[in-house]
Amino acid sequence: MSLVTTPALVLQTYRYSETSKVVRLATRDLGVQSAIAKGALRPKSRFGAGLELLSEGMAQLYFRETRELHTLGAFDLVNLRRDLAADVGRFAGATALTEVMLKMAPPAPLPAAYDTLTSALDALERVPPGEIDAAAVRALWCLLAVLGFEPSLARCARDGAAIEPAADEPVPFSVADGGALCPRCGPTSAQPPSRLPLRAYADLVALNDPRAELPPLDASHAAAHRRLVARFVRYHLGEAGPLSALDFWERRAWVPPTPTPIPSAAS
Amino acid sequence: MSAIDDLVTELAKLPGIGRKTAQRLTFYLLKQPVESAVRLAEAIRTVRERVTSCGVCGTLTDEDPCTICRDPRRDASVLCVVEEASDVTAIERAGRFRGRYHVLGGRLSPLEGIGPEALGFDRLLARVANGGTACVGEVIIATNPSMEGEVTATYLQQLLKPTGVRVTRIARGIPVGGDLEYADGVTIAQALLARRDMTESDKTEAG
Repeated sequence: MSLVTTPALVLQTYRYSETSKVVRLATRDLGVQSAIAKGALRPKSRFGAGLELLSEGMAQLYFRETRELHTLGAFDLVNLRRDLAADVGRFAGATALTEVMLKMAPPAPLPAAYDTLTSALDALERVPPGEIDAAAVRALWCLLAVLGFEPSLARCARDGAAIEPAADEPVPFSVADGGALCPRCGPTSAQPPSRLPLRAYADLVALNDPRAELPPLDASHAAAHRRLVARFVRYHLGEAGPLSALDFWERRAWVPPTPTPIPSAAS
Repeated sequence: MSAIDDLVTELAKLPGIGRKTAQRLTFYLLKQPVESAVRLAEAIRTVRERVTSCGVCGTLTDEDPCTICRDPRRDASVLCVVEEASDVTAIERAGRFRGRYHVLGGRLSPLEGIGPEALGFDRLLARVANGGTACVGEVIIATNPSMEGEVTATYLQQLLKPTGVRVTRIARGIPVGGDLEYADGVTIAQALLARRDMTESDKTEAG
């Protein structure tokens, strides 16, 4: 058994006994790991308030490769991310990201995924209220990319031909094929692809590029982009069971339903 | 499977009880007089048969409505919203709150699939909006200071805003009898943020 010190983010916690918690951690050096935090529920616990959902810190793990449950020796809090709890939309986006990380990231070193996740949570905390949806959609696409599910947008996902969008011709996007399709491959797709109008395609490209400005998305376009990325995750995570946080975020379950139908741009 | 194994298996399903403890409890019960075991069995049966959710506040009670909701001396204009029925017991133990309660039965937790529809917020809204003669003037949100508890509080605050009712949140900070030296940084920061002016009434309360 070795003592490993690594940056970590709390993805989930369960009460284990009267005094202990089991935590699922996204660690920078060991991937997603489970650990028992003994005494975490005691009033004078050495973990203090650190072991909260989405909090980030330096974890000391007594780690043994052959085990699935390790022992958390300490967790020195760096960022509690309390601001995410002050807005249900930000929190919903953060938990959708958490869920993707929990279900898709392996228990192996994946620093890029860890860095993408923490940067995305930082961005979600900071963005102005009008950009929360776009920031969450971008965060999900970026996390998917570092986990090996980057959608192909510049080239046809099937034959590699360059995608040359025309103003009057929607770009076919197939979640099954993993990206945009050229006019030749679009009609042959087994599942009917989504047909992205030029603006939706341009927004999708910008949302997948962390260096680009966040595109302004009105309510209907934001809903369409949420649906698109959620469908993409569900397709590629089909066997991972229900994705309740993703569903909560996608349908904005915290907002009372409005009678007006949502137009579809990217569905 | 023997009767002993049956009981061990059932006891081991309880939270915090493993198979060894379950065995110890089983043999302890076997050493006790028969009446003692029968009383325990009867108490478990009765609690399952009689205890139900209060139709008004949602707490666990063996009379519907519960004693707190029926008590005319309780201030119906102040409603304390808690996550679980056990939180009602904790607040009642403090003996300082004279209002009424509303038990949500959980907190918003998208990762566990618990959304607003599962928590019956509409029941709370109806209580606040249709208070009748006992008009609700203040809602104290006493969800846990965890991430999910905070989000639930944020959601409730937004939900109740249109009703015009005063919405307050329980304070967070250093526990009474605690020691600053051993408090974690987050708790100290919260305590500093929630600091307040000292008044004469504080001294009275403390005394």
